[in-house]
Amino acid sequence: MSFHILVQQVVNGLVLGSVYGLIAVGYTMVYGIIGMINFAHGDVYMIAAYLTAIFLAALTLLGIQSPPLLILLVLLLTMAFTALYGWSMERIAYKPLRHSTRLAPLISAIGMSLILQNYVRLSQGARSQGTPTLIQGSVRLFENGPDQFVQITYAQILIVVTAVIGMSLLWYWIQSTAMGRACRAVQQDRIMAALLGVDTDRVISVVFVLGASMAAVAGTLVTFNYGSFDFFIGFVIGIKAFTAAVLGGIGSLPGAMLGGLVLGLAESIFSGFVNTDYKDVFAFSLLVGVLIFRPSGLLGRPEVEKV
Amino acid sequence: MTERSVSGGQSVGAVLRESLITGVVALLLFAPLTGVSLSGYTLEGHWQRPVWLAGWVVLGRFAFGWLRARGHLVGRLSGRPKAGSALLASWIEAHRTFLLLALCVVALILPWFIGKYWLNVAILAWIYVLLALGLNIVVGLAGLLDLGFVAFYAVGAYGYALGFKYLDLSFWAALPFGALLAACFGVMLGFPVLRMHGDYLAIVTLGFGEIIRLVLNNWMDFTGGPNGVRVPFPSFFGIEFGRKAQPGHVTVHEYFQVPFSNEYRDIFLYLLLMIVVGGLVFVIRRLRRMPLGRNWEALREDEIACRSLGIQPVTVKLSAFGLGAMTGGVGGVFFAASQGFVNPTSFTFMESAHILAIVILGGMGSTAGVIAAAVILTVLPEALRDFAEYRGLLFGCAMVLMMVWRPRGLMGARRARFDRSGVA
Amino acid sequence: MKRLEKYARGKGLARLVFALVFGCVASAQAGTVKIGVAGPLSGAQAAFGEQFWRGAEQAAKDINAQGGIHGDTIELVKGDDACEPKQAVAVANRLVDFDHVSAVVGHFCSSSTIPAFEVYAEAGILSMTPASTNPMVTERGLATVFRACGRDDQQGVVGAEFVVKQLKAQRVAVLHDKDTYGQGLADSMKAHLATLGLKEVLYEGLTRGEKDFNALVTKLRSVKADAVYFGGLHSEAGPLVRQMREQGLNAPLISGDGIMSETFVTSAGGPKFVEGVFMTFGADPRKIPSGQTLVEQFRKGGYEPEGYTLYSYATMQAIAQAMRATRSREGVKLAAWLKANPVETVMGTKSWNAKGDLKISDYVMYRWTSAGKYEEVQ
Repeated sequence: MSFHILVQQVVNGLVLGSVYGLIAVGYTMVYGIIGMINFAHGDVYMIAAYLTAIFLAALTLLGIQSPPLLILLVLLLTMAFTALYGWSMERIAYKPLRHSTRLAPLISAIGMSLILQNYVRLSQGARSQGTPTLIQGSVRLFENGPDQFVQITYAQILIVVTAVIGMSLLWYWIQSTAMGRACRAVQQDRIMAALLGVDTDRVISVVFVLGASMAAVAGTLVTFNYGSFDFFIGFVIGIKAFTAAVLGGIGSLPGAMLGGLVLGLAESIFSGFVNTDYKDVFAFSLLVGVLIFRPSGLLGRPEVEKV
Repeated sequence: MTERSVSGGQSVGAVLRESLITGVVALLLFAPLTGVSLSGYTLEGHWQRPVWLAGWVVLGRFAFGWLRARGHLVGRLSGRPKAGSALLASWIEAHRTFLLLALCVVALILPWFIGKYWLNVAILAWIYVLLALGLNIVVGLAGLLDLGFVAFYAVGAYGYALGFKYLDLSFWAALPFGALLAACFGVMLGFPVLRMHGDYLAIVTLGFGEIIRLVLNNWMDFTGGPNGVRVPFPSFFGIEFGRKAQPGHVTVHEYFQVPFSNEYRDIFLYLLLMIVVGGLVFVIRRLRRMPLGRNWEALREDEIACRSLGIQPVTVKLSAFGLGAMTGGVGGVFFAASQGFVNPTSFTFMESAHILAIVILGGMGSTAGVIAAAVILTVLPEALRDFAEYRGLLFGCAMVLMMVWRPRGLMGARRARFDRSGVA
Repeated sequence: MKRLEKYARGKGLARLVFALVFGCVASAQAGTVKIGVAGPLSGAQAAFGEQFWRGAEQAAKDINAQGGIHGDTIELVKGDDACEPKQAVAVANRLVDFDHVSAVVGHFCSSSTIPAFEVYAEAGILSMTPASTNPMVTERGLATVFRACGRDDQQGVVGAEFVVKQLKAQRVAVLHDKDTYGQGLADSMKAHLATLGLKEVLYEGLTRGEKDFNALVTKLRSVKADAVYFGGLHSEAGPLVRQMREQGLNAPLISGDGIMSETFVTSAGGPKFVEGVFMTFGADPRKIPSGQTLVEQFRKGGYEPEGYTLYSYATMQAIAQAMRATRSREGVKLAAWLKANPVETVMGTKSWNAKGDLKISDYVMYRWTSAGKYEEVQ
């Protein structure tokens, strides 16, 4: 095992982990607030990937050429529209179930996931789509001979940087704004928060909007980096991001990011040095192992049993 | 669907305004994804599509709002049964034995007339009934959310397939073998993870389900990987269902002196499944009255209280988990036998979700509801085949609508007696 | 869309009611021949199902325009298996028992084709797959099953010969997507490399549906692969080759007919990434003279007849010709005729051996160019 390969695998893991983390945030926030696993979240990410490609093509047709401007505009537009999708999804499929059993929204989320997949398949076709390469070029580190180097593309750097910025902003927002405080209050005790005058419906809507925009950031960045997507991509990555959220401690924001990074690193290191076939088996075994010893995940608060 | 809607009494103007707002949102939602479609790196315009869609949404929203304002839909969405359905329920209760008998007779006659296609669907439906009853023990009775139930189903199916391949097990030997194997897996998984609560348990079981599928897919030398394994069709106590018998055996149509039909095998499976499901229903009914079943339900409601009463949570949970897994295993053996071929794509997470949807739609804990839901959710996707490419979309819509319409499931009333708000 | 949906719902309901009223017996009307087209019309592989449908639809239209089969018009019935064996069996039973089809064009995924063909064979209905290349499909002694494409083992021979003799590669990595088709291809590649005296340096599977293969690419670098063979489809091959190039790994990628699609270029992020990718495929149907006009016709309708579109068209032609020649709909008679007589199709003359495999399957090596097109390697 050479040093370059190890560093390269760590880089791969960090990039993948950032993507998992961004999507895991959506799971963890929704779970923290209403205690529900939003299985349609992966498909929100898929919607974001399609919107990215569509806005990119539209803006290019309008004559915008400069890549930084394009990236910024596409990112903002995608976030806005994906957030709208997140909001409507909550209104249609989850809000009517607010006061029923906890498992009912789970099934309606699975239904929603089917709806979104099929909606995109019918409107955009089943074939896989792509975007042109917008961010080109890469840097080579530690170069030492023809095979000995660590190569990082600018797109990968963009993913990690944007993920860090996005998460920091979100963290700041949760910690320091009135709405963020309301969110935390609802997370701790929904009924109490409502009694103290917090508009819980609004908080829940805001959480869905934020979760969807984070998924949109991930969708846009991934589309710029990998350039390929189809209507089914939300499924695999959704399960992985959910795993990351639980690994970090579901309900905890830093936990989601940490869980994402751990999962990403674990996958790429295992895949790189042991076996790619069993990479996912390893990822899930890691989850089971961590939960056996820390039943609330890495950063989750231990559950308080109330009598 | 806001709070005030329950009381009704919105004016037509307000309904109209709301519908128009909904329409604008819908237009915004539909515009980018349906208004243009990607073609390579450029776009094709379909400007009429989002307009049509948004138009339909406005109309639908208006009709819905108007009906609600007139008081036609009160109570539906809040999940409380209306007076009419309560009446129906009491009528059903009064004629229970008769209804059950009638249903059994219909179910017995059905396979002889519906043709091979619907017969196959019916077998699938029975298999799902079996699976859902198994999961119902775990989720509905013991209150353990299991998102990886498909693992036990897969273990059962592969238990038969590989058992035949390596040990030359027959269907009749595979039934107990698959059940036992699945139960072992259930206990093996259950032991370390049953300390976890609620959704942590859910994700661990999901992970376990995926691990089983991935191992089946990757372990080429043993399981045949994605190529799957062929499974022989079962025989009727040594009498075969094929057109021509293996040397030394006879076929059913020769033995009974009837013309050959490839339906006999399926009818046989159908009837056998009916017997197995009937037995299971009986066992579950008995169990619910026994201390073990009562412990399951007590544990679901309040674990701390149970522990203080001296109930061992782990043992009780393990028994539910093991029993559920065993049922899943039996379902798997039947699945393998009816398909004649197993491969890992039949055991994805969506399959677990499907079984869970049956349990929840059926109203957790209710046996009759689960059976009804299993039949509905198996026949529905097949009936929707006429809609070709819209099938998936409609099935998704049906799932959401059913949940919104009946969040507690088709027959959730039994549970309501000791329901606490907020507890799954 | 919604409008269509409403329409479809109305029509579907009517059909359902009709079927129930008339006791589920919808026997074929006089004057029509029902042919099932089965494949993944939904699910992750729906793109291939669309190719099947487009090809078969066009073929049915053309055959009907030429007078059908002795005056009977062909009516197609869709069957969606979502590439899942369970649904494939259900659909097969439906086509046989409910729709009473006389022949079937389909299934795409080998894992669906294998169990479904058993149903057709049992019912004595002719079935021909335009795309399933797994040897098992025709290796089970079923009398009425055919395929209009080659077999994995044949692709592997061409691939291995090319890698060893022309690329002169020493360190070959073999990857697959852990599915029947992809792994079958990779296994056959592996086997034929071994007969040529070469052991692969890496043999691993990636997960279908994922897009990040960077870890695997780094691993390819660490084993110093100088050629990479991938058994799988374009949706994974695109990102794979892009990530190889972005990480500075310039070893050629060789694959099979699963990447035969213009979408491969889109999903790889542009033509510059696919340059130098090789693939085995039957002699390009789009270049065969008999197919030229048809290809033009497809393009005029706004559809690029890629991948299996023309295979599906040819399958329909073969079935129609067998029906015309034998004046029968019986699977056994049709099968006997097809095994004895060559058929003139849009993809050239085809003839089948006793198993139902093509007698000649002319896999050749193609190379993708910097323009995002492919050309035959001489």
